[in-house]
Formats: sequence, C-alpha cells, structure tokens
Amino acid sequence: MPTDALLPALDPMAIPGPPWLFHALWLVTFAIHVVGVNVVLGASILGTMASLDSDRTFGRGVAGFFAEVNTWAISLTITFGIAPLLFLQVLHGRLFYSATVILAPAWLGLLLFLMAAYYLTYGAKYRLRAGKGAAVHLGLSALLFLAVAAIQVVVHLLSVQPGRWEGVLAAPWTALSDRSFVPRFLHFVLAGVTLAGILLAWVSVRRVPDDGARAAASARAAFGLKIALLATLLQLVDGLWLTISVPREVLLGLMRGGAATMLPLTLGIAAGFGLLVFLARVRDPIADRTSVRRSLELFGLAMILMLVTRHQLRDLYIAAAGADASPATTGQWGVLAVFLGSFVLCTFLAIVAVVRSAKDRPGPGDATA
Amino acid sequence: MGGGILIALVAILHVVVSHFAVGGGLVMAVLETAAVKRNDAPLRDLVKRSSMILLLLSTVFGAISGVGIWFTIGVVHPAATSSLIHTFVWAWATEWTFFLLEVVTALAWVATWGKVSPRTHLLLIWLYAFAAFMSLVVIQGILGFMLTPGSYPRTFSFWDGFLNPTYLPGILFRTGVCILLAAAWMAFAALREPDRDARARLSRILGAAGSVGVGLAGVGWVVWERALPDSVQRLFLGEKPLLAALATGRSHTLRMFAVAAVLALLVLVLPRLQSWPVAILALLAGAGILAGYERVREGVRKPFVIAEQMFSNGVLVSEIDRLNEKGILSKAAWATKGPGGRALPLGEAVFRAQCASCHTRDGYLGIKKIASAMDAEFAEMFLTAMRDDGANWKARAEGKDVKPDYAFMPPFVGTDEELKALALWLASLNGSQVAEVTDAH
Repeated sequence: MPTDALLPALDPMAIPGPPWLFHALWLVTFAIHVVGVNVVLGASILGTMASLDSDRTFGRGVAGFFAEVNTWAISLTITFGIAPLLFLQVLHGRLFYSATVILAPAWLGLLLFLMAAYYLTYGAKYRLRAGKGAAVHLGLSALLFLAVAAIQVVVHLLSVQPGRWEGVLAAPWTALSDRSFVPRFLHFVLAGVTLAGILLAWVSVRRVPDDGARAAASARAAFGLKIALLATLLQLVDGLWLTISVPREVLLGLMRGGAATMLPLTLGIAAGFGLLVFLARVRDPIADRTSVRRSLELFGLAMILMLVTRHQLRDLYIAAAGADASPATTGQWGVLAVFLGSFVLCTFLAIVAVVRSAKDRPGPGDATA
Repeated sequence: MGGGILIALVAILHVVVSHFAVGGGLVMAVLETAAVKRNDAPLRDLVKRSSMILLLLSTVFGAISGVGIWFTIGVVHPAATSSLIHTFVWAWATEWTFFLLEVVTALAWVATWGKVSPRTHLLLIWLYAFAAFMSLVVIQGILGFMLTPGSYPRTFSFWDGFLNPTYLPGILFRTGVCILLAAAWMAFAALREPDRDARARLSRILGAAGSVGVGLAGVGWVVWERALPDSVQRLFLGEKPLLAALATGRSHTLRMFAVAAVLALLVLVLPRLQSWPVAILALLAGAGILAGYERVREGVRKPFVIAEQMFSNGVLVSEIDRLNEKGILSKAAWATKGPGGRALPLGEAVFRAQCASCHTRDGYLGIKKIASAMDAEFAEMFLTAMRDDGANWKARAEGKDVKPDYAFMPPFVGTDEELKALALWLASLNGSQVAEVTDAH
C-alpha cells in the first residue's frame, strides 16, 4: 500500500503526553461511546420494526420503550463521542483531517442528519405517549442514523488508507467501494440490533413482573431475544466476511502480532459464540433471567474485545501505509491531573444524580418537585 | 461560501445556544430554589415551562452544534485545529467531563418533575448549573489564549496560556450574557402564565435578572477591552482606528447593549409592558451583543488564528524560513488537487494552500476583485514585499518592537517559483495575463 503524496506533514507541535496514554483513553472512551452507538442504532431499527407490528398494543409499547431510551441514549452517545474524537485528533490528526476534507459534504451533512434524527426521535416519543403511531418518525430516524454510521465507517476507512485519497478526490463515490466497507458497516448495525434486542429482554424481565404484566413482559423479552439471536448468527457470518475483506498486509500483520493481537480476536470470537449459546437456550425469559443477564454481559465482553482488535487493525492499516511516524511528545502533567480529577468528580456527581433521581420517590402526601 | 463564513454560521448558532444553556442553569437554579422556599407555584411553573426548551436546546442542538464546530474547523483550518488540540487537549477533555455531567443532570432534571422530592430536584438543577458554568470557565481559557496568549510564546507553559490577560474579563462578560440570554428566553415562558398579576410578577423577576446580566456583561466588556494589548486596542478603538469596520461593529454592539439595558429596566419597572415584541427584541439584542463581541474578538486577532504563533492560513511563525526554502506545498500537498482530483496549476495550488482559508475566488473576500488592478509584475512585487514582511513577524514574535508592513495579512511564504506562479495566476483571473498552466506537481 503506497504512501500517497497528499499525506500532510506531521504536526511539528509535540503532543502533551505519551502516546500510550492517549491510546488508552481513546479506547476506554470510545468503548463507552460505542455502547451508545449500538443502542441508538439498534433501538431506532427495532423501534421501527415494532411500530409496524400488526399487534398495535405490543408494537407501540416496544416502540415507545425504544423512543424513550433513545432520547437519553442519543445525548449521551454524542457527549461520549467528544472524548475519543479529541484523542483521535491528537494521535492521527493529519489522517483524520484529510479524510474529512476529502469527504467534507458528507462529513458536515452528518450533523444535519444527526440533528434531524434526534428531533424525529423526540417527535416519536411524544406521539407514542399520546397514543399515536410513530412508524414514519422512527423509520426516518433509523435511516438517518444508518446514514450517519455509514459516513463514519467510510471516513474511518479512508483516513487509514492515504493511498486511496487521490482516487476518492477524483470520484467521491468510490469511497464506498472499499472491500471492507459493507461488512464493517454491517458489523456495527448487527451489533446494534443485538444489543437493543437483549436490552429490551433484560429490562422486561430483570424483575419478576406482576401476573397481569407477565404475558406482555414475556412477549417483549422473547421478541428481543429472537432478534438478538438472529443478528448474532448473521454477525458471525459477517465477521468472517470482514476478516477476508481486510487488505492482505493488514491481515498478515494481525496474524503475526502474536498473543497481543490474536488473544483479543480469539476471545472476542469465543464470546460471540458464547452469546449465541446463551441466547439460543433461553426458553422462558422470565424463568431464565440469569441467561438474559449473561447474554448482556457476554455482549459487553465481545464488544470490548472486538474494539481492541479494531484499534489494532487501525494501527496496522496506518503502518502499512507508511503513515505511522511518531510525533514528538511533551508533558503537561499538572493539567492531566486536573482532567483526571474533574473526570472522577463529574462521574461521581453524575452517578449521584442518576441514583437520586431513580430512588427518591416521595410517599403519598409528601411534596414533589 | 468561504470557510470563514461556514465556521461563523455554525459558531454563532452554537455560542448563542450554549450561553443560554449556561445562563439557563444559573437562573433556573436560583428561581426554582426561590419557588420551593416560598412555595411559589407560578414561579415553579415558569421554571418547569422553560426546562424542556433548556433540554432540547442544550443537550440536542447545543451538543450537536458543538461537535459541528469541531467538524467545521477541522475541515476549514486543519493545521490550526491540530495545533490547538496539541496544546489544549487536556483542557478540552476537562471541559468534556463537565459537559458530561451537564447532559446527565439536564436529562434527569427534566425527567423528574413531579416525581422526586423538591430537595433532589434542586440538587439536580444546581449540579447542572455548576457543570454548565464550569464548562464556560474552562473553554474561556482557550478562547482567550487564541487572542491574548500572554507569556505562552516565551514560556510554552500551559497555565501561562490558559490564565491569559483576557481570561477573567471574558468570563465576566460571558456570564453576564448567559444570564441576559436566559432571562430573555424565559420571558416567552412567562408570557404564557395565564394569571395577569402573576405574569407581571414573573416578568419583573426576569427583568431584574436581565438587568443584572446586561450590567455584568457591560462591565466585562469594558474590562476586556482594557486588558487587550495596546497594539490590538489601536485596531478598533480611539479616534482613528486602523480597522474601521471593526470599530463600526463595536459601535453597533454598544447600541445593542443600550437596547438590552433599556428593555430589561423597562420590564423591571413596568412589567405589564412585557409583550411578545418586547421579548423578541430583548432576545435579539442579547444575541446581538454576543455576536458583536465574537465578531470583534475574531476580527482583532487578524492575521492570526493563535496570536503570535499561527497565522489564519495555518502557517506557524516558526516555520516561515523553512517554508520559504522548501515551499508552501511541501506542507500542503493536498492543495495540488482540485475538484474531481484534477491537478491544479501551481499558482492556484499556492492560492489554495495559503490564501483560501480566508479568501474565495469570486465570493466572500473574493481574490478576483481584490487583484483586479494587478498585472503579473505588480503582483510579483507585492508578493515579494509580503514575503519580506515575514522577517518582521518573526522579530515581533521574539518580543522586538517591530511593526509588520502588512498588519492584517499573513506574510507570503514559499519559494521564488511558487511566488511567481501565484502572481501569474492572480493576474490571469482578470485576463491581464495568459493563464499559467504549469502542473502543480
């Protein structure tokens, strides 16, 4: 893979810390962001499917759940996306900026898609609360979120392959012709659908429902688990497709990386198979709530391991392109301490806020806000 | 449309909404606390009616437009964005932690009306107000640095850059505008109060908040102007300002101050005069003050994007000599390719690399019009003089008392070949020379 002549020079300014620290923070914050991405993508797709269900009570109930979840999840996903965006720019600014400049209309259009999808989700939430249908709102928001995901995948793939920049500049639509674009995009979408399905099941049965609500909870959980099982099966096929679609030198780099690269990949695949087993063996979600919870935990494990592999793949792509020059480094330890301190403080306060909001329920006759 | 206009569009929308988000937190926290203490139902309803707008604007529009600024400056000014990131990533990361708390508490606060005790609800809004204000406290350090880096260019100490001369005045000004904008937004919710007496009382309270806001902002503006270096003050202050357009912009902003002050005091003294037209005018005046401030702040920074370090075209003062030797295209190979991937003439490539962050060809600050009186010889002479000016900029950055000849333009950097190619290309725009067709490669 030749280094392209359009590759900008490395920023002469030193980065304010060791690269490993930025990699670690990037990975951690990106993992949290991706949980949100999966929820938003999956919830918008499953919400649309549910809102088209012939059983209106069931369908609107499930769609309402996903619309409520998404109004929170979208805010948090965007917020958690800011940190990895910062760390990405520190480490690979020249690659990232170049890709976004080449695909500027799509990249900036992404913001409009995101805003429209967000407000459509709010519209769906209030329509469903009022007992009205929201298939159009949810369907449009799902399409917009899918477009946002596709743009992110395209920009990512382009950024790590400077050799393709000149060609894409000449014909922008060829950005979609990357062999690994479709399987990589599907990897995100299927993960989102899986998580949303398991989330619906887990929320429905995490506490034993009353007799009156038992049938509805069981139906919701069964719907979620069935979708998650199907999506996980497809994910295994897609994972294989993604593996063989990666450029040869990148794949070889992954295989030759020893335990550092093969362990996360192998364990991630194993976690995927484990997830499949747990999802398949649930017959009665209410009676077998442990398996539902285990499914959620296994999904989380598989996702984290796959993110590690994704991160390593990025570095291999960049190394293959000869664009892995090391930046100069310097230390800003005092400011780093301020960041870590504020992170701990704000996380603690956010947890306090959520816990107090969830647990504080005044008794009858007591004042409410 | 030039990149500057694109940034301005996104940034203006974002700063107005984000200042409302900060001010909304402060004002609503105070008002909800007062409502709980006095068991004041209309005041509580005013805050509740305003809360959904706060949520939709801050966590939806504010969040996305904030990311939008990142996206936009990264596309328009990648080199400057990279430099700022390398210097201030921990500050931005710190701001992000407060923004995280801001979003969580905003969502929880709006979702728990009528569900939790007043004590818990007050805790949520005060946490929100704290987080929102702290995000302002952090970001002001970076914004102030871009205009007045203080002793940073000599010490390269983060704190010297962050706690720069306009840091505190900027916080004072912005806090005032935040409160003013929040009071102006909430006036619409107050007008929906059905009881006439209660409506007047709420309007009076918001008039008081608006008066406090405009007062703080006014003091902040004056202190901010005085904190600017003399060389910057001369650009837009005094009897003969060097940048007349900015001086005019400042005058307009001061008129906005007057309008906002009069309206806030009017509603405070005669609250029954509050109406939709008055509220709209007050909101526009508040937004106008902020837009005017941002315009002046951006304008007086010319020709830098980071004062004394990086010019608005992404060229560092420290790399002037190297780029004169190796050429601007050694830093910006991307500029050699135009739409459709076609190879551009060398002169046009140099224009894209060095001038296009501010100038368009035919539109905003169109170079065709600016160069209309130039033939190739004159353009070459002019560009040579601009290149020589690089030595003055370097001397000034080293602290010497030197005035560049072209105070509002970055120096030209590049080889003789690049300079001549640009001169020919500029002349060719108006047909005075045959177009130069050398391939940029």
